[in-house]
Amino acid sequence: MAKVQVLNVAVLDNPSPFGNPFQFEITFECMEDLPEDLEWKIIYVGSAESEEYDQVLDSVLVGPVPAGRHMFVFQADAPNTGLIPESDAVGVTVVLITCTYRGQEFIRIGYYVNNEYTDPELRENPPLKPDYTQLQRNILASNPRVTRFHINWEGSADKMEDSENVDPSPNISSMLPPSCIPGKMPPLGLMPDNSMDCM
Amino acid sequence: QSLTKPRKKEHCKPIFSVDIHPDGTKFATGGQGEDSGKVMIWNMAPVLREEDEKNENIPKMLCQMDNHLACVNCVRWSNNGLYLASGGDDKLVMVWKRAAFIGPSTVFGSSSKLANVEQWRCVTILRNHTGDVMDVAWSPHDVWLASCSVDNTIVIWNARKFPEMVTCLRGHTGLVKGLTWDPVGKYIASQADDHSLKVWRTVDWQMDANITKPFSECGGTTHVLRLSWSPDGQYLVSAHAMNNSGPTAQIVERDGWKTNMDFVGHRKAVTVVKFNPKIFKKKQKNGSSPKPGCPYCCCAVGSKDRSLSVWLTSLKRPLVVIHDLFDKSIMDISWIIWTLTGLGMLVCSMDGTVAYLDFSLDELGDPLSEEEKNSIHQNIYGKSLAITSTEAQLSTTIIENPEMLKYQQERQNSAQTNIGPGCAGPESSAPKLNSVMNGESLEDIRKNLLKKQVETRTADGRRRITPLCIAQLDTGDFSPALFNSAPILPSGSSMSNQLTSQLSSDSSPGQASSLGLRPSHDPMLTSPPASSIAKGLEDNKDGYKLRASFYPCLLLTSASKIEPMKALDSRFTERSKATPGVTAAISSTAGLTPLDRPKDGISALKDIKSKEDTSSDSEDKMATINKNLSFSKRKPELLMDGGEVVEKRKKGRPRKEKMAAPIDMTVSYIPVGRCVCVKVSMEPSVFLEVENEVSVVAGSKLSQLRCSRDGRDWNTLLPSSVVTAAGSSDVLAVACQDRMLSVFSSCGRRLLPAIQLATPVSAVHCSSHFVMVLTAGATLSVWSVGAILPKNLLFVPLGADSTVSQSLLTQQGVPVIGLSNGKSYCFSSSLETWTLIADKGDSLVQCADFRSCLSTHDAPASSGPLAVMQGRNLNAGRLASRLSSTPHHLQQSMTLAFLENQLASALTLQSAQEYRYWLLIYARFLVNEGSEYRLRELCKELLGPVHKSASTAWEPTTLGLRKRELLREVLPVIVENLRFQRLFTEYQDQLELLRNK
Repeated sequence: MAKVQVLNVAVLDNPSPFGNPFQFEITFECMEDLPEDLEWKIIYVGSAESEEYDQVLDSVLVGPVPAGRHMFVFQADAPNTGLIPESDAVGVTVVLITCTYRGQEFIRIGYYVNNEYTDPELRENPPLKPDYTQLQRNILASNPRVTRFHINWEGSADKMEDSENVDPSPNISSMLPPSCIPGKMPPLGLMPDNSMDCM
Repeated sequence: QSLTKPRKKEHCKPIFSVDIHPDGTKFATGGQGEDSGKVMIWNMAPVLREEDEKNENIPKMLCQMDNHLACVNCVRWSNNGLYLASGGDDKLVMVWKRAAFIGPSTVFGSSSKLANVEQWRCVTILRNHTGDVMDVAWSPHDVWLASCSVDNTIVIWNARKFPEMVTCLRGHTGLVKGLTWDPVGKYIASQADDHSLKVWRTVDWQMDANITKPFSECGGTTHVLRLSWSPDGQYLVSAHAMNNSGPTAQIVERDGWKTNMDFVGHRKAVTVVKFNPKIFKKKQKNGSSPKPGCPYCCCAVGSKDRSLSVWLTSLKRPLVVIHDLFDKSIMDISWIIWTLTGLGMLVCSMDGTVAYLDFSLDELGDPLSEEEKNSIHQNIYGKSLAITSTEAQLSTTIIENPEMLKYQQERQNSAQTNIGPGCAGPESSAPKLNSVMNGESLEDIRKNLLKKQVETRTADGRRRITPLCIAQLDTGDFSPALFNSAPILPSGSSMSNQLTSQLSSDSSPGQASSLGLRPSHDPMLTSPPASSIAKGLEDNKDGYKLRASFYPCLLLTSASKIEPMKALDSRFTERSKATPGVTAAISSTAGLTPLDRPKDGISALKDIKSKEDTSSDSEDKMATINKNLSFSKRKPELLMDGGEVVEKRKKGRPRKEKMAAPIDMTVSYIPVGRCVCVKVSMEPSVFLEVENEVSVVAGSKLSQLRCSRDGRDWNTLLPSSVVTAAGSSDVLAVACQDRMLSVFSSCGRRLLPAIQLATPVSAVHCSSHFVMVLTAGATLSVWSVGAILPKNLLFVPLGADSTVSQSLLTQQGVPVIGLSNGKSYCFSSSLETWTLIADKGDSLVQCADFRSCLSTHDAPASSGPLAVMQGRNLNAGRLASRLSSTPHHLQQSMTLAFLENQLASALTLQSAQEYRYWLLIYARFLVNEGSEYRLRELCKELLGPVHKSASTAWEPTTLGLRKRELLREVLPVIVENLRFQRLFTEYQDQLELLRNK
């Protein structure tokens, strides 16, 4: 059973200019004192086409986490525009917030992000080279997509069912197709089954 | 009319278990969720009353828990109603407890905006079974919890000390699928697939009987075999048994475990038997002569044949049989005792529905009261299960206020859990509610969170955020304003009112649970019934099954931009692979490093402590330094440490329980030429190291002071030998032999110019930003370093031949001294005088008897300065028992005086926690003793003026505690004496009024 439940994520400073840092106010609850820190990451999906354009905007350790309800603001710089394919600069993409404990990801919160020009002129005739200073980032805050994974919260590996949830090591994953757990892949628009995981 | 309105609720997936809360306000269901087990808690009111069902403001579902990894086979409320136990295919038993209500919350990210309007938290997970858990059962009085499993075992858990296991009952050779406790607690019975029913003794947990005959013919399997014991203890009724190749429910008599009778009639295996917990007697008809009919029990039997029968032990034939109630097998039955019309029953089925059946008391007879039931038990078994509480006196007073009633019930509930010695209970291990927000609203916190939150860098340069704790785990406390804890009152209106006001509009469970109507199957009647039953079933024909879909179809919310989203969608659910940047492997180790240090700190501390213990505690600190020096010289062998003699001493600062609390320590009487290292603060960890006479420059001896804080070191040189040093997380103070006091910031900056003291220093204390110095000349000074407010020089109120034996400085900068004559004083800056806070020879302390007022919920405030000065084992009331000959009024006055002294002392010491602690004891004492005037004055003071006016000098807070919050805590205490219900209502109403303002 998950020891950490994310209760809410508030998207702050939204919509905002593209260059503004991302700010998420995360409220979570922990059932018992965690001996180790949680690691939170913000991942910006540069292009829908390929994961190679994913950028980890930042990763923070959060701790110590005693039992109780906690909140913090996770702020991370805007993505490096140099790493975003020009064709994908404008339009819809995704920003992900993930949390791992002992190296195992147990929650993934995704938001659609719409980047568009505020100036109608630019909207009509977007420049060939994206003008990031004019872009506005709008996170679809009302529709978070939450996927929860069962992980092994205790230190010792006593559950084999969790093994599939452990992040594959980098060199293996490069050889394998994306690690999709059977049954965890929802059809479009449907919540994954385990997203109802609640306290 | 014996049966009305069968209604159904839907889980969609099979429901394996249903159980109604003892107070009848809610019920739990357990079954299969989407990809996990599911426990849901529902409001009972909409089931009982049609108007409540239609009222959208009344929530149907209260809470759902998806924590079981696999199907939930059984849910059971504890007898006191505080806990819910659930067992499932994931081999786990989880015990749930209601947590404080923070507001309707949805499951984050769930697009069904179905709000959890109650919070139930898993307080313990019981792991021992190696197979699916099939049934769980609480023993009478909730002493034990039993669980049985397909691993062929039954585990008995200590329900007062989860997750402790009492025993594991082995003997079944097949899957154990049902459990029931003997109502007097002498036995537990289990039924298994091995064609046996076994009865186990609770005395030695050995098998008392193994009944196999009625089950030998049993073929096939049923999912559950829920057997039941009659409330009078006389009969045990099994599930699936066979008699003449017909399925039966076997009646086993307690006397000799005889198996002569059975309930016959079902066409398929019996899955569940459930006795009504009440014993009944025949209804006295008007006009007929009152003849004392034999009491009887009522039992419901559910079967795989989808039908349900209800039997009375006084009748040969079933009272009622309902066929085809469901589409699939019946899985569980639960009785509700008090409804508006009589008795009701919830029945759940594999088909994912729950039906509610309503019986009138005309059919069943009059239930006996608990007293009558207890006297029956007493007659039969010679011992009573009566819970001796205030029930008798309660019943004579009418409760006027529903809030009051609720408090009463909660109190009784908690009283029941606390019965018996050594009931550590889950709640004592569960952290208590402690508002961490200090009166600051969540909004305020949120506004400044980014600026305020503590962010550090770990050794490898990673960002580390300390999250702001906005609420500690609060499994123990119940919000006072919970709608469905309100008992079902005959009027029904008050509850509905509460409901509407409670449910804020942002969540609308009604909308999500769009109710669809579906005509029920016409129930068929086959068994020969009494005429009234036929009538009841006729009525039933136009009844409806209500189907509520709680899983509304999820619609694509952002319908536009489908194509790119499709590609993006997979990203939501896929786990992160090796993303550029930091890999997960690093994080776990990086997270570890900063945490290792405090552990070291603790061991260091223990080290110090153990060494300290070797020296006598009651050393006179006013004694000259020489004496101490010689003392340390006497035992160098003991303290030999790397060739250096180390003496470490900890002064009387109370050791806080949590690591997070700063611990301030003092190094004193440092021997010449020696090196001393001590940790002065835990969080952040600060180590202080002093070495005298490091070098001799131009004839003067230099001493070195080294400080290590969070890995950052600094050091400084002092021109004279250091005599004593102290530090807190903010300041460090060092006193030298030349009577010079130096104060440094935690980074080593000199904060104050060197202070020349008149007489040699005897003790130095630091606490947050306060520095206190006690000199041999019996003067005491406190400096507040942050504000550089020199506090006046105080002369310690030494008596003729007393010396200072203890000194400390509280977190708030209040100096406290203990004298050798047993008196302790603290300096009240507002009164500008020393005030007596403790006197070991005080006769009031010896005689005050307030033990009955000690709250079971509050941990003893043993950590505050008051407790430290008065001694941890406050021997208050120790003499009280010996003084029982003392007239009650005398003792009462003494206790009252003592408690008021304690309150005043806590106030002067500015010890908020202790103030609250004693305030609650004081209030409880006033309530117990019925001192209305004082109680009223106390409430008045805490409430303050309801209307603002300029003339009032009322402060809304005491020591940072909000007085009205304190009042809110005092009110439940007031309820304990029904005499004060008017007082309670008065202040409750005013508080409500103020809250709404």
